[in-house]
Amino acid sequence: MNKYILKSVTVLSAAGLIFTVLAGCGKKPADENNYAVVGITQEPGIFDPHTVVAAGDEEIIYNIYEGLYKFDYEGNLNPCLATDVEISDDASVYTFTIRKGVKFHDGSDLDPIDVVYSLKRAAGLIDGQNGVALVSELDSVKDVEELSDGKVKVTLEEGNSEVMSYFTTGIIPEGYDNCQAAPVGTGPFKFDSYNPGQSVILVKNDKYWQKGLPYLDKVTFKVCADMDAGLTELSSGSIDIFPYLTSDRAAQLDTSRYNILSNGSNMVQVFALNNKVEPLNDVRVRKAINYAINRKDIISVTMDGNGVELVTAMSPAMGSYYDPSLNGTYDQDISKAKELMAEAGYENGFDITCTVTSSYLIHVNTAVELASELKAIGINMQIQQVDWATWLDTVYTGRDYETTVIALTSTYAPYDVLGRYQTSDGGNFINYSNSEVDELMAKIPLTTDVAERTELYHQVLAILTEDACSAYIQDPTTITAVSTRLEGYHVYPMYVQDMSTVKLVTN
Amino acid sequence: MQSKASYLIGKTVELILTLLVVSLLVFAAFSVIPGDTARVMLGPDATESQVELLRAELGLDKPLAARYLSWLLGLLTFNPGKSYAYNVSVSGLIAQRLPVTIGMSIIAMIMVILISYPLAVLSSRKPGRLGDQICSVIGHVLFAIPPYVASLLLILLTSSVFSLLTVGNYVSPSEDFFEYIGCLLLPSFAVALPKIAMSFKFLRSSIIEQKSADYVRTAKSHGMSDLKILIRHVLPNSNVSSITIISIILSDILGGSLIVEQVFNLPGLGRLLLSAISRRDFPLLSGIVFYLALVTVLLYFISDIAASFADPRIRLK
Repeated sequence: MNKYILKSVTVLSAAGLIFTVLAGCGKKPADENNYAVVGITQEPGIFDPHTVVAAGDEEIIYNIYEGLYKFDYEGNLNPCLATDVEISDDASVYTFTIRKGVKFHDGSDLDPIDVVYSLKRAAGLIDGQNGVALVSELDSVKDVEELSDGKVKVTLEEGNSEVMSYFTTGIIPEGYDNCQAAPVGTGPFKFDSYNPGQSVILVKNDKYWQKGLPYLDKVTFKVCADMDAGLTELSSGSIDIFPYLTSDRAAQLDTSRYNILSNGSNMVQVFALNNKVEPLNDVRVRKAINYAINRKDIISVTMDGNGVELVTAMSPAMGSYYDPSLNGTYDQDISKAKELMAEAGYENGFDITCTVTSSYLIHVNTAVELASELKAIGINMQIQQVDWATWLDTVYTGRDYETTVIALTSTYAPYDVLGRYQTSDGGNFINYSNSEVDELMAKIPLTTDVAERTELYHQVLAILTEDACSAYIQDPTTITAVSTRLEGYHVYPMYVQDMSTVKLVTN
Repeated sequence: MQSKASYLIGKTVELILTLLVVSLLVFAAFSVIPGDTARVMLGPDATESQVELLRAELGLDKPLAARYLSWLLGLLTFNPGKSYAYNVSVSGLIAQRLPVTIGMSIIAMIMVILISYPLAVLSSRKPGRLGDQICSVIGHVLFAIPPYVASLLLILLTSSVFSLLTVGNYVSPSEDFFEYIGCLLLPSFAVALPKIAMSFKFLRSSIIEQKSADYVRTAKSHGMSDLKILIRHVLPNSNVSSITIISIILSDILGGSLIVEQVFNLPGLGRLLLSAISRRDFPLLSGIVFYLALVTVLLYFISDIAASFADPRIRLK
């Protein structure tokens, strides 16, 4: 009898202990704390504003560093550390007026000499850099100097009207070279700590030059293994903001606890066709593929309809640079596609492989849908999934593939979007080559008149579309879940998590 | 007959050779798979010159064989080098992640012993009875569930159906020890489940076998109680042979926890390993694999030695 009592006491106390511990692991009070946790699925790595290239890193350091100019969430380029710019008629000299009263995170004042140092460093003009530009787009900068009136003059090797959007590159204190370990900028948040594989912590910059900003005391970028792990954390409350959701996942979220925000991503999802590989080197085959696919169906399968159909290499989100007269060029037309296939000598179709990265579900799903649609014209597409590192090495750099699906990220610089279609461009992984496009692209930076430049872009787009250099699918919508305890968050059409305007909901 | 010393030396040589082969395998696998660390770090938008710059900075322009040799030399001086992607020492990174993986393994092992031993003893009291049969059937089912499936089911049950606990909110032991244990309970249980079934099955049949042995009948005829026979004779006899099973289970648990960490979003060795692979971080990957191999081989090593000391007949084989 005694034994049984002893036994049950032990069992009960053990159970009690377990439950206490379980309860201890429960939710912490969060609402009175003025912080936000952002879930990220890419491991951060580089915090130097001039060597950073990976989108995931850019999102974080957007809050630490600021450039002379800065994009907002509507895609406008606004003055930031500069208050004004004068551009010479041939677009080869840019003279910036530097904002006064701005302090770096280390307490020092922002002076023109800091701007000169930062731009020189980005352009590779500092002694010992061997002239290799850290920000490759600023490679054409010949000299940066401080004028007697405190303005900063940037001279380019030749006129380039497209360089303006790269003056968003971060400004750091003069002589500073330790940005990787201890970032110092002028942004709304200061770098606090980086815990590899776990989180990046930023704290409020009390001396931020924009009065009243930021609202939050602390922002944590927390690394999640993948989207599902992040969603689990989101639903348990340990993450407040989670970007880049797929729409099916977003639909599962409790709308009383999260606001689902979305914006165009300004990305170009492309069914890339290697122009050097048979039978894709035949323009008739590429056109047939374009006519065979139904973009609307793909968008509804992969994004639940949350995407904009693309016919060419540029998203309509680029405004006047885009040519709306191209709309509808490749509306689905199976009989036309079959005709073109027959003309090219492939009336019985052919076998082809699509090498797609398994790291992005949307591209895998797109490839699956494409494969089923291409059957209609006899193309039998095998899907081969590879990891991101392999994709970058074999497909992107090595160009050893037949077809692939990927989204090309872009800023608001149209030259960036179309630059890769030049024959010798490093990003021309589809091996497209057309001397007309090469000539037009070389002419654009030398053209200062906006209307004229826009017309040149339209010409390039028309040629790319006529050549059916690849099949363009969609500009997928970016969906972000934000906890209802926060407000003021904006989804940017580029890789940015702007935390300066985010604040607690007051009621 | 072999002496204890020569047995130990033989086993130690075996241990070193195994580790060498493991590191060679990692090296071989790495030289075959495509992918470039610098390109992965910089992404597709980086230009070739930027990638080259980083490659030179990281020392990636040297051939992999040279990097492997310098890594091996570094190991001899207990310095496994610096991770490319994180730019900090590999040993520091591993040490930082150990509380999760080791904590989970220990808790899971305790769960295995605490649950499977009493169940096996109870079930083997009257084999074939309803209770025993139910235990066996459940055991078969649990044995068949891989840890990651168990993890998903557990997350679904605890966080969505009963909303008992927060998943993925990791607390480090230095912050709050009890919360740390609490956060690891569920993932540990997911890892432990199939092992509980395995240990239960093994122990149950071992006890049943021992029970029919002659010495049990002798002890009974001497008037010893069933409980005493079980504790003094049957369990020790089944235990000696289960040292090996325990070490197998421990290394399985270590492997299982690597996957379960990923599902529960815990910052352990498993996630570090995956990130090292996907970012082609050779020093980090080989460091982790070497460490895991070391732990596994050491476990077998210790269990072999322990078993040989407990039962000298093993050394003769």
